[in-house]
Amino acid sequence: MKETIIELRGVSKIFHSRERDYTALKRIDLNIKKGEYIAIVGKSGSGKSTLLNMITGIDHPSAGTILVNGTEISGLTESKLALWRGKNVGIVFQFFQLVPTLTIKENLLLAMEFVGEIPSSQRSKRVHELLEKVGILQHMDKMPSGLSGGEQQRAAIARALSNDPSIIIADEPTGNLDSKTAASIHKLFQSLVTEGKTLIVVTHEKEANLRYHRIVTLTDGEILNQKTEKELL
Amino acid sequence: MNMKCRKSYRDLLVNPGKTFLAILALVLGIGGIGTILVSYTILTHDLNANFQCTQPAHVVFQSEQFDKLNLNEFIQIPEVEIAEFRDFSLHRIEVRKNEWIPLWLYGVESFEKYQVAQVFYESGLSKPSQGSMLIERDGLKASDITMGGSPRIRIGSRTMEISVTGICFDPAQAPATQDAFIYAYTDKDTYHKVTGLPVNQRLLVRLNEVSSGEDVTKKVEKIKQAFQASGINLTSVYIPKFNEHPHQWQLNTLLFLIGTIGLLAFFMGVVLVSQLMRSILASQVRQIGILKSLGGSRFQVLQIYLIMLLIIGIISGIIAIPLAVKAGIAFSSFIAGILNFNILTFSLPVYVYISLITSSIMLPILLSFPILWKSTSVSVKDALNDYGINGVQNIGEFKLLRNWSLSESFILASRNAFRNSRRLSVTIFSMALGAAIFSTGFNVRQSLWDLLEGVKNEMRYDVQVVLKSQIDEEHALMPFKSIDNVKMIESWIGGRGEIQSRLLSTDKGAGIVALPADTKLLKLKVTSGRWLSVESGNEIVMNQQAWNLYRKPEIGSSVTLLLGNKCVSKKVVGIIEEFDKAKIYIDLEQYNTLFNPQRLVNSLMFVAKDKEYSGILKLKREIESAIVSSDLDVLYVMSQSERVKIIYDHLNIILTIILLLSFLVLVVSGVGMTSATSINIGERTREIGVMRAIGATPKKIYKIFVNEGMIISCLSIILGLILSFPLSKLAGVFFGNLILGDGAKLKYAFSLVGFIITILITALFGFLASTLPARRAIKIPTHKALSYE
Repeated sequence: MKETIIELRGVSKIFHSRERDYTALKRIDLNIKKGEYIAIVGKSGSGKSTLLNMITGIDHPSAGTILVNGTEISGLTESKLALWRGKNVGIVFQFFQLVPTLTIKENLLLAMEFVGEIPSSQRSKRVHELLEKVGILQHMDKMPSGLSGGEQQRAAIARALSNDPSIIIADEPTGNLDSKTAASIHKLFQSLVTEGKTLIVVTHEKEANLRYHRIVTLTDGEILNQKTEKELL
Repeated sequence: MNMKCRKSYRDLLVNPGKTFLAILALVLGIGGIGTILVSYTILTHDLNANFQCTQPAHVVFQSEQFDKLNLNEFIQIPEVEIAEFRDFSLHRIEVRKNEWIPLWLYGVESFEKYQVAQVFYESGLSKPSQGSMLIERDGLKASDITMGGSPRIRIGSRTMEISVTGICFDPAQAPATQDAFIYAYTDKDTYHKVTGLPVNQRLLVRLNEVSSGEDVTKKVEKIKQAFQASGINLTSVYIPKFNEHPHQWQLNTLLFLIGTIGLLAFFMGVVLVSQLMRSILASQVRQIGILKSLGGSRFQVLQIYLIMLLIIGIISGIIAIPLAVKAGIAFSSFIAGILNFNILTFSLPVYVYISLITSSIMLPILLSFPILWKSTSVSVKDALNDYGINGVQNIGEFKLLRNWSLSESFILASRNAFRNSRRLSVTIFSMALGAAIFSTGFNVRQSLWDLLEGVKNEMRYDVQVVLKSQIDEEHALMPFKSIDNVKMIESWIGGRGEIQSRLLSTDKGAGIVALPADTKLLKLKVTSGRWLSVESGNEIVMNQQAWNLYRKPEIGSSVTLLLGNKCVSKKVVGIIEEFDKAKIYIDLEQYNTLFNPQRLVNSLMFVAKDKEYSGILKLKREIESAIVSSDLDVLYVMSQSERVKIIYDHLNIILTIILLLSFLVLVVSGVGMTSATSINIGERTREIGVMRAIGATPKKIYKIFVNEGMIISCLSIILGLILSFPLSKLAGVFFGNLILGDGAKLKYAFSLVGFIITILITALFGFLASTLPARRAIKIPTHKALSYE
């Protein structure tokens, strides 16, 4: 039995505005085990991104608790949360979000410098390994703008892996890529899962169901259903 | 180099426009304040150092009985440090053909060993040969006199030539060019032979252990008692301002002005830098979110931007500090040239460099820290959701604009201008302040010009001849009878010959001017009470300076007027405004009855038939020529135009600097506006893409941004011109106090030329500030503008 790495208990999120209050998440209970490859799907406005923000500590719940890797993250200060995130969670964004003024290699080095987990002497070697792993070693001294979308996303994945986090969270990572490139990114994700990483992907793609261990479908801030690999088959 | 440093400097490189503006703003700010600091350091020290190194006299005694004085014994008095005889008399010297100005002639005890009031060698002989003289260097600027030349001088009724064998420098004197004098120095023998005057009648004394004017006064009292005990009667005792150069006031005013305006320019530079940092950070909010999502703490993110500011500060410092030092030295040299002193500070104190370096490095950080602190506190979620400028807030529907049938692009520009009300207020206020100060500079200049025009109108004579002594009227008028271009001559008389410009007189007390009560040649502005009347007679009118000097007596009250040995009671009937030293006006008939039964005169007021400038100059030359052929002992001859010029020259340097510095403030405001517009446009790049996508041509978009800039300019001009009114009034009080004395103020004057120049320059800045970033913005391809984050 694999251990639980992410545990959400009764998590709700209400956004307050002058006109009205909007409930984005309603008492969500969700357990994610180590090494799981999970897709969170749902229509626009269903609460997928909000749920992702809860898990990464980017946003705080209005109610409920979130335990990630044994840490109750809603109780952490912004500064501690940033360090925790750097060590434990690698985030991959839809629009890659590489620092445009740094080369690919420097993007990875910056992430390592922030967290300080990897000793300085080993950082360069690790950058080489990670870029080789994602297949863009030859581009390491290029600026992000000099790379294609797929290559930039690979660089973003390599950056997410810089500090060797146990959890990778990707927000529509292939939403901005053609199908061929998207397939190669998924292949890369699967290899990461094989290595033992826990991967949570927010996606619209229904046709790619078979790739995941579990698919969590959200509707109006609630979990509509969770289908395991067996159920999907 | 670590990645944080690398990101900082690459971010600067990726935004060369903003980086350039930030550096430019800092260079202007640090350069401005640095120039002021450097010049302040030099000028505050050097004028005084020049003055002090002459060993100036603390007191000047005059007596016809100094032959009874044993100077060696006198120096032994505990109050006296050192003393030296230096005779002085006032004559005239021809600086150009038939152009004469006052000559201050000194008889020096020893050119080898000055004890008091040292004069420094410049060129030629350091000690003039027998029968020759040294000329003070500043006088050469205002004349055609040269080393080796022999200008004519007029002593009493005699005209002679004296050769100039050397040029010297006397830093303790008021600059000759400003006051239109020549200072000359001869040995005692020559002095006696040339002037015919006895020597050793004027004693310069430096006192022991004095640290204030009060100390001097106390010790002078003791010395006076010692003179009295020795049977020496003093004819005058003159105590100059303690340890202060005669033109220290002018320097103080300049320093105050450049300090104030420089600080203002600096303040605006500061606003500009913080605006630019806000702009740089505004475009990096999403990146801050990404950095935090990668594990960067707030402090680590803050470090990146602090490094960025450090780089900006260091580059600005490298450019601004040498410029500030050079400009400060150049400015100091310029002032030193005008005030006639030498720059003695060749190496600036270390604290100046430390202050400038610290300012360069620390100021951008300190000024931008609040913005940095706020921007780096943004949560990852808010940062990732940031898409630049928000929508329009509470500006209504601009219904009024619609009613005026204005174009959609103008209405859009108006809305855009008001989108970020905080930035708009800062931009408008700083631009308005620049315009207000610039316009105030012109208004004050106009007020002074009006004042001088007033002087011209009030004094309706064209040339004034002031005699050294009082003589019979017929005798005084005789030499001028053959001059054709004379409409009339009116004779006046003044007590102690002090009726003239304060620029010529240094004695305390008020001058007495006796003139016909119904004179047509003087129409001074009465501020309180009335002018002298022909009927009542027993009355006086005071000018503001005299009124202040005599503790503001009430109109209608009686005062005791002391003239020579006679005391009379007179009623004060009016106060007049006058750009001159303290004067009391009295009816000529009354004066003659009381003090002048022989009806002597010492001032002749000429009115020319040909009132053109050339006609008046011709009249002056004819008068000078007539004097040379006469036996008249003349103190000076001055035309009103020259008089106004001398006064104007005293103030012109201040006015020029006001205008230059206020222009600097306006330039900084213009740069500020460019940056604000650039920020506005940068934040709306995505909107530009949307507008392009729905069919807006680059020309239309350009027009919107330029309209926006012009709207801001117009608002700034309106506010600036409104602000210039109270500012001009304030400046009027300041300059009035400075020029006219305690409590006086310059009348507000509106300068139309200044108004037009302010509008044109502000509008030009507004246009440039919007057109430059707008041109750049329309060059961005639509797809890039749409994907801009």
